[in-house]
Amino acid sequence: MKCQICSREAKESGYCDLHSMAHESITRKYERWNEALGISWKEYLSEIAKNPLTGEWTREVAEHLKKLEKR
Amino acid sequence: MTTRFVPIVEKYTLIVTEKPDAAQRIASALDLGRKAKRMKKNGVPYYVAKRDREIVVVPALGHLYTVTGETSRRNFYPVFNFKWAPRYAAEKGAHRIRQWLQVITDLARDAGTFIDACDFDLEGSIIGYSILKYACDNKETVSKRMKYSTLTEEELEKSYDEMLPHLDFALIEAGRTRHEVDWLYGVNLSRALTIAAKEWSGNYATLSTGRVQGPVLKFLVTREKSIRSFVPMPYWEISAELKIDGQLLEAKYIKQIIQTKREAEAIQSACQGRNGHVEKIETKQYRQLPLPPFDLGTLQREAYGLFGYSPKRTSDIAQRLYLDALISYPRTSSQKLPPVIGYKDILKNLSKVAEHKGLAAELLAKPELKPNEGTKEDPAHPAIYPTGKLPQKTLDGSERNIWNLVVRRFMAVFGESAIRQTMKVQVSINDHVFFLKGIQTLKAGWLHFYEPYARTEETLLPRLKEDQMVDVNRIFLEGKFTKPPPWYNPSSLLRKMEKVEIGTKATRADIIQTLYDRKYIRDERMALTDLGFEVFEVLRNHSPTVVSIKLTKELERRMNQVRESKEKRENVLASVIEILKPIMNEFKEKQKEIGEQLSDAIRRAKLQERIIGTCPTCKTGNLTVLRSRKTGKQFIGCTNYFENSCKTSFPLPQRGTIRIPGKNCRGCGWPTVQVFVYGKRPWTLCFNPRCSLKEKRMRRVEMPNMQPRS
Repeated sequence: MKCQICSREAKESGYCDLHSMAHESITRKYERWNEALGISWKEYLSEIAKNPLTGEWTREVAEHLKKLEKR
Repeated sequence: MTTRFVPIVEKYTLIVTEKPDAAQRIASALDLGRKAKRMKKNGVPYYVAKRDREIVVVPALGHLYTVTGETSRRNFYPVFNFKWAPRYAAEKGAHRIRQWLQVITDLARDAGTFIDACDFDLEGSIIGYSILKYACDNKETVSKRMKYSTLTEEELEKSYDEMLPHLDFALIEAGRTRHEVDWLYGVNLSRALTIAAKEWSGNYATLSTGRVQGPVLKFLVTREKSIRSFVPMPYWEISAELKIDGQLLEAKYIKQIIQTKREAEAIQSACQGRNGHVEKIETKQYRQLPLPPFDLGTLQREAYGLFGYSPKRTSDIAQRLYLDALISYPRTSSQKLPPVIGYKDILKNLSKVAEHKGLAAELLAKPELKPNEGTKEDPAHPAIYPTGKLPQKTLDGSERNIWNLVVRRFMAVFGESAIRQTMKVQVSINDHVFFLKGIQTLKAGWLHFYEPYARTEETLLPRLKEDQMVDVNRIFLEGKFTKPPPWYNPSSLLRKMEKVEIGTKATRADIIQTLYDRKYIRDERMALTDLGFEVFEVLRNHSPTVVSIKLTKELERRMNQVRESKEKRENVLASVIEILKPIMNEFKEKQKEIGEQLSDAIRRAKLQERIIGTCPTCKTGNLTVLRSRKTGKQFIGCTNYFENSCKTSFPLPQRGTIRIPGKNCRGCGWPTVQVFVYGKRPWTLCFNPRCSLKEKRMRRVEMPNMQPRS
């Protein structure tokens, strides 16, 4: 199975090793963002997707999660 | 019976040097008239000097011999049998070496005494040893050794008069071990990677890794992973703008990071509109010792910080300055300056240069010159210092920069400690604590000698008293985000390699360059490419020991023990072969899988190479160099063109090669391309038709025509 974002082999999460790492990072950090700004998961994804300091893989995962949310 | 008269011809002394420049300097220094005769045979220069006897000085061209496989076949692995052979037999394009070695062999035939005068380090010792052994018919056993750290006439004469009775065999053994270990690693792993990719895709691409390259790639990958999976965290900073004696000053809140907006706003509203009270003033004075003299690593880092020179460039410039006898031997790890180098004489000579005259005179007026040395030592050479010889030719910009830097650092080492003072003012605003911080230099000391290069921060605060009330203009809140760790740059990567003690001072800069050459990294910020990632992933999955820092360090330790005669070369090599055998077997078994992974990465890397930057029109596509199928002309187009969603395109010069420097235009910020046309100087091209710099240039061209005639 290929990663949902790139052409690398995917793990159980549906992402490759590298995008899985970014996905874990996104999930782990949400609580702190919520505490700091009191924002929803959806708003959080939009915030990190547009932040220029966000890592490339994180942004790709955030954009992907945003698309999934829309569906 | 008649006796045949046989003339007794005194045989000459043959000195072998590492480079032609060094040969010329050594020959001139040893010649009684300071002017050796330059000879040439089959295009190979050598020098004849007259002293107590005739001396012939012949140079090498760096390494003339190298480690190579026993067979000439290159497309197989594993390969554990090797030999030392002339470079022309092992490398393509090294034909010149054949003639060079022949001339050395011819000159050796009539020589009576042999002296190795190559640089006194691992590489120099191997160069001299292999020439004496292979080209001079096993003369390594009878050869003597000159040891010097500068190419000045005085030191070279002294080195000749007091030469060592034999070669340093422990150093040679350590050098051989290092070359052979690196060859075993490099050849086997690089062949395994290259062959796997070629067998899968049918296309050849050079892939490589090595004993040090693997762990260095690991540093880069680890950093890149943290950057690319980084999630910035929000935080707030609070500052108070104070008005003291008409001057506006910014005091920082005691808690530097406030994690929630709620808390930050509460503090802001509590302090808003209140006055400040100076509760405490703390001043501290401290002495700042002069920086130690340069070893190669610190020189490379300083030159990168000041001039942006890559470590390799600095090392090459320093080598040229050394060959011109302007500075001492640069490939040193020492931070020591022994008195024997003659501090006073060096300073006296430097005082002949207008820009150093005053400073040199100040130091010469001191009753005693005592350098502030660092802790690092090198058994073979002192720290890098100016010899006191002045440039005989005009130095180019970069050479002058490095020479001046070495001169100023040398002077600064003898300066007195600088005295600096910090001031911390605690201001309370409605029971919330803020700090004002100041720093100033009270006595410049050594900073005065190192002035153009010293980077010191100065923040002066006005006169303040405890219990004083101060006006608070406003309290401001700044929302910020945490930043990802920085990418490595050539300087920080070099520091990391030094810290974990992998590679040598002579090889570290080359290893960094190889990572660029193999396209594992790009740009000055050393961003990892997809290819770099995949090569690392392959190594990590199939041969984790190759990227293990622990193992590399252990090998370094054992190789250093060879230098100290505490370990045998044969044992180290046997261990390396034992490490490599199972790795090579795994590569063979998984060759197909590895080949697919690498080929895919090579294809993506080639695409990535052509990408110039994000399309300024659609902002989603990438600008890339394309060639029209109809006309064959090259141009810049957007990748979304193929999806019919963006038609952005820009013309390019049709002659020459286009390269992507990864730098943006300083006028408009658009990405740029570099154009290389044979016989012309390469130029950087901004393809933005509305670039402000272009408009300015156009105006400059038009202006003269607009001037009214007088």
